[in-house]
Amino acid sequence: MKIGFEVHLQLRTERKLYCDCPTNYAEVPPNTNVCPICTGMPGAKPMRPNRAAVEAAVEISLMLGCRVQTGKPLYIQRKHYDYPDLPSGYQRTSLPLALEGSLEGVRIREVHLEEDPGQYDPVSGSVDFNRSGIPLVEIVTEPDLRSPEEARRFLRSLIRVLEYTGKVRPEAGGAMRVDVNVSLEGGGRVEVKNINSVKGTYRALKFELQRQAERLRRGERVSRETRAYLESQMITVPMRTKELEEDYRYIPDPDLPPVLLEEEWVEEVRGRMVEPPHLRERRLVEKYGLPPASARVITGERELADLFERVAREVNPLFAADWFRTKLKKVLNYMGLRAGEVGFSAEQLLSLLKMVEGGRISPEQGELVLRELAREPADPEEILLRMGLLPLGRGELEELVERVMEENREAVRDYLAGREEALNFLTGRVVRASGGRANPREAVGLLREKLEELRGKGQTS
Amino acid sequence: MGTLGKLQALRSGELSAVENLERFLERIEKMNRELNAFLQLNPRAREEAEEVDRRIGRGEGGRLSGLVVAVKSNINVLGLRATCASRTLEDYVSTYDAEVITRIRREGGVVVGMTNMDEFACGSSGESSAFGPTGNPSAPGYIPGGSSSGSAAAVAAGLCDLALGTDTGGSIRNPASHCGVAGLKPTYGLVPRHGLIDLGMSLDQIGPLAPDVHGLSLLMECIAGKNPGEGMMLEVERVSYELEGDVGGMRIGVCPQFSFLTDPRINEVVERKVERLRELGAEVEEVSIPHLEHALSAYYLIVSVEFFSATRRYDGRKYGKRIEEVCGEEVLRRIAMGSYISRKEYRGKYYQRALQLRTLIRKEFSSAFRRVEVLVGPTVPKLPHRLGQKLSPLEMYAYDYLTVPANLAGICAGVVKAGEVGGIPVGIQVQGPPLGEEKILRVMRALEAGA
Repeated sequence: MKIGFEVHLQLRTERKLYCDCPTNYAEVPPNTNVCPICTGMPGAKPMRPNRAAVEAAVEISLMLGCRVQTGKPLYIQRKHYDYPDLPSGYQRTSLPLALEGSLEGVRIREVHLEEDPGQYDPVSGSVDFNRSGIPLVEIVTEPDLRSPEEARRFLRSLIRVLEYTGKVRPEAGGAMRVDVNVSLEGGGRVEVKNINSVKGTYRALKFELQRQAERLRRGERVSRETRAYLESQMITVPMRTKELEEDYRYIPDPDLPPVLLEEEWVEEVRGRMVEPPHLRERRLVEKYGLPPASARVITGERELADLFERVAREVNPLFAADWFRTKLKKVLNYMGLRAGEVGFSAEQLLSLLKMVEGGRISPEQGELVLRELAREPADPEEILLRMGLLPLGRGELEELVERVMEENREAVRDYLAGREEALNFLTGRVVRASGGRANPREAVGLLREKLEELRGKGQTS
Repeated sequence: MGTLGKLQALRSGELSAVENLERFLERIEKMNRELNAFLQLNPRAREEAEEVDRRIGRGEGGRLSGLVVAVKSNINVLGLRATCASRTLEDYVSTYDAEVITRIRREGGVVVGMTNMDEFACGSSGESSAFGPTGNPSAPGYIPGGSSSGSAAAVAAGLCDLALGTDTGGSIRNPASHCGVAGLKPTYGLVPRHGLIDLGMSLDQIGPLAPDVHGLSLLMECIAGKNPGEGMMLEVERVSYELEGDVGGMRIGVCPQFSFLTDPRINEVVERKVERLRELGAEVEEVSIPHLEHALSAYYLIVSVEFFSATRRYDGRKYGKRIEEVCGEEVLRRIAMGSYISRKEYRGKYYQRALQLRTLIRKEFSSAFRRVEVLVGPTVPKLPHRLGQKLSPLEMYAYDYLTVPANLAGICAGVVKAGEVGGIPVGIQVQGPPLGEEKILRVMRALEAGA
């Protein structure tokens, strides 16, 4: 099985690609972020491509290890097709800005800059042009993937790279569109369009794998064709022949000069570029000795990895990594927060981790504090105080232990009779009686001490 | 009274902008039924003229100070109809001002109305308008030329002070020649195109038509110069031309390929003018554009492909009518040709080759301009036909033989009246290198003054 991708993701710029309209298309009433240019009114001429969009595409290319096409004219092409969402009857797409990169062993063929069309609502027959002209980056891979699972993993990695730049709109917001090419040994290449999520891609591939394999098994041909993925039914269906025979009649856009990427500028972008996540993941394993699974989770978001590297300077990285992978990630998921959205500072998290690492509070208590920290950021000391979680003093603990032993004579007798599990029961009582402030490890130690003392007394008396 | 005299009268208060407008409106009222130069008058023109008068009163009349400007119907003027003289856009009302219109307003120009033209600027006779042909006030019964037919006719008939036309393959120069007025196709990228409805985007330029060379120069000084953000503009902030220079000692080129296929009567008129330039002290030299004869076919291939692309938006959804269903023959022919030759399998064969030819022609002009400062010659190789006379497409295209090379090469070219043949005006064409407007305007001014 051979699978290749064409992935389109919206770039996060303030302004559209060929005009000055703002890009927050989803937040405003239909057809308000529009002008003669992005609605293709007769006579409107595009502005030169938005520099911020070109830079984002170049940065993405560099992060994917591509060779940026510096010093040669890169024409903006008109791709003609007929659809209600396309106000001029053509979409502008650049010649490749960069070639021949790779990501986790998958070869990247090329990277383009494109413009988004408007949004057509077939039910009402109306078009909203707010989205028209939003910049898109298009990434084309070689057919290097071998299974739907591999494809899914790769797509996630690719999205992680794009999101690391901070210059794309989140995939989860529907800003992504995927076309996928898939072929089995002995069959023709099938292109599936109209996919807009990782999950959808996986399902479409699973379906195609089954469909094509079944045909081949029955001795039928799998012909080269273009199909559409139907999200609602999780299947793919052939597209109309008219759409297949389409000839886009590409011509260089006579209204735009070619883009020229200067070597020096590209190097500047490279200098400012953040470390790509796949490389960072490898570095975290090598530098801190993290288990690969932890490194993968931690590099899942740039801000999460930044946070990790900040705290790993002052607490044990393995300890921190474990906390990140289990507790922190759990709390964030529970609260539906991305690492970039948390309100607490690295210093606050660090001070919490130090408390746990130093044994001042238990990991369980630490998790309670962490939840509070995420909910309502404050200094962890303050949270401890607020939650009544300040660790017990030795005297207080001793008092509690004695009281619990007094109130649970039967359990004490059981322990003295050699039933070790009674100790766990008593510890639980101490922690509960402390309202969670008692450190279970400390409590268990003290209990054992007192019980043994009692045993000694019992023997002498 | 020439353009400068009119401007003086407006500035001194001898004539108000409103009076100026109303005199034209009266003439239009009388003459337009016959001439069909205007498709729509600006209902707000009087208000706009009043505003200009107030500005003049404050000493802020701008460079145009109430001069009345006619606008070709392929240029967007907010609230007016830029129909391109086509059924396709007959219901289209402009939602914005073209950049040149913004500039004209800023300088105190008053837009009087939208002029007739060949449909989508595809034509050289003025007959292909969906709203009826334009007449030629200087040679009644004959075509006015095209495609800026209404603009040239309006200037010739004294229905406006100045007019905007557009020139993709000669559409300003050709009607200027047939109507006996002055016209200029600026260097590609000198005048903003934002708001100009496309024919061939790599060739289109907006330019002035006027009764005299001073009018051309004045309007150019108002509309030329960089439009921030617009893709294909030259790095020129603004222009200012000195026209009264001496042509003595200027190196002026003539080209055998220009006269080769041209009506001898036209050549004769042009040669008399070349002689006049020699008398004024210019050095006349012969230069060659060896591949000139290929310009026309390269031009039609390029323009068709670009026009095909530009018309994809007229799909019937936004503007109500699908272009292929309502347009005239010539527009349909170009769309069909553009669609055909831009097909994947033919691209290398036609479009790419046409672009190569274009490069070649550009080089030939550029080497000619290393030897001479300007080139002079005929504008149109033959005299206009009678309105209504049927011509084959190839006969029609032949009108453009001498004007398309300037568009292909991206250079500037202007036309002034050189004389007449049997009562029909004949214009002489002066071509100059990129941004050579001042030079060609000077030569044109000298020719005009010596007429």
